Amino acid sequence: MTDKTHQTKSQFVAVASIAAELSAVMEVAKEISLAAANAKAIAFRAGEKARGFQPITDFINELAKETITLVNAINEHALLLYRLTVNEYRTSTAFDKFQAATKMAEGAQYQSSLQTSTEAVEQRMLECRKQFRRHVGQLLDQLQEVMHPARAARVIAANSRIEASQAGEYLLSLQAVAESVDRAAQIIHNNVQRCRSALNVININE
Amino acid sequence: MKMTPIYEGAHRWIMFGRDTNKPANIIDTNQYIVRTANRCLLMDPGGIELFAPMLAAVLHHAPVEEITDLFASHQDPDIISSLGLWDQALPKAKLHASSLWEGFIRHFGCESIDYVGIPDNGGKIKLDSTELKIIPAHYLHSSANFHIYDAEAKILMSGDVGAALEASGAPIYVDNFDSHIDHMRFFHQRWMPSNQAKRDWIERVRKLDIDMMAPQHGRIFKGDNVKRFLDWFEGLEVGIAV
Repeated sequence: MTDKTHQTKSQFVAVASIAAELSAVMEVAKEISLAAANAKAIAFRAGEKARGFQPITDFINELAKETITLVNAINEHALLLYRLTVNEYRTSTAFDKFQAATKMAEGAQYQSSLQTSTEAVEQRMLECRKQFRRHVGQLLDQLQEVMHPARAARVIAANSRIEASQAGEYLLSLQAVAESVDRAAQIIHNNVQRCRSALNVININE
Repeated sequence: MKMTPIYEGAHRWIMFGRDTNKPANIIDTNQYIVRTANRCLLMDPGGIELFAPMLAAVLHHAPVEEITDLFASHQDPDIISSLGLWDQALPKAKLHASSLWEGFIRHFGCESIDYVGIPDNGGKIKLDSTELKIIPAHYLHSSANFHIYDAEAKILMSGDVGAALEASGAPIYVDNFDSHIDHMRFFHQRWMPSNQAKRDWIERVRKLDIDMMAPQHGRIFKGDNVKRFLDWFEGLEVGIAV
């Protein structure tokens, strides 16, 4: 396997991994949203005893929504990266084949007529690579951004535990909500980290 | 890639094949071009593996900008999987292939090449003053299948009909028809699904004046061997797998 083939394969794998990780993040974000709705209902029933918990549930819900919006945007970007990878593969394959043909056509009367097509396909290949690098950079920034609500959710989970301790007989239910938010935030954090690692595998400086 | 001129007149036919550098596990194929003053038609240009040697060979006969037409007898990968590469190499070209297969063949990549769909009853391709007929050969073996007939050169490019599987380096022309049958029998019995389609094609082809029948695999039939082939094929039971 040539370095170039290996790199293209890595690109395909990286982009596919991102899509899979993001799909899991989306599921977890939806779970957080559900946990927030659940917590809101419990806090409502708990009344005064869980007054401090009520604004927290709204905040959890906001974080879940924010995560879902960010993941949707990242997904679109990942799809664009996939298309660029396909185009880059097609153009670089064509470029290699045109070069091979030029070499094989040594002495052929019309060998030089392939030059224009070779230059054009090289241009398209380089443009794909440039765009790919640019979009990988942007995607890494977006992934960094999606870490913020996950981190905030963990802080909120800690606060939720404190507020839950004031909620009398609702303590266990609200603690369970806090645990579920914390666990979900941890999963999002880990998945996004894996997305970043997958992207870093690609040798974008090639 | 071996280049063999098979007709020299006001225009030329050249056969390409017997590529000694092709990977051993892919089937050997014959490609043909028709070269006129300013145009060049590639028939069944081949698979991806064959693209570079094929393009290099064609550059002995035509510049890239004069390779204006491609023809695919059907949709198989050994026929046209190189399309995505030709698509990037040829600045202005048309692909003549079955309308029925268009949505499938486009999977190989066809963005700049103009796909000219052939209706079921065939059609023609005009290259400068040369006119080639597109002859229906449906179910031989593909459900939408065509051959090319050149009335001036009296050549029928017959796709998989007349194909033979034999060791690489076989001669270009059939020398002994009887011994050649062994290389053709199973191929035709197994790949051709319909006796009715076979009879329909034979009836159509017998009306044509043919000096040479040029298949996509194996050897070319010349003179009396064309008639011998049609007679042999007529008597052959095909579609044997069921």
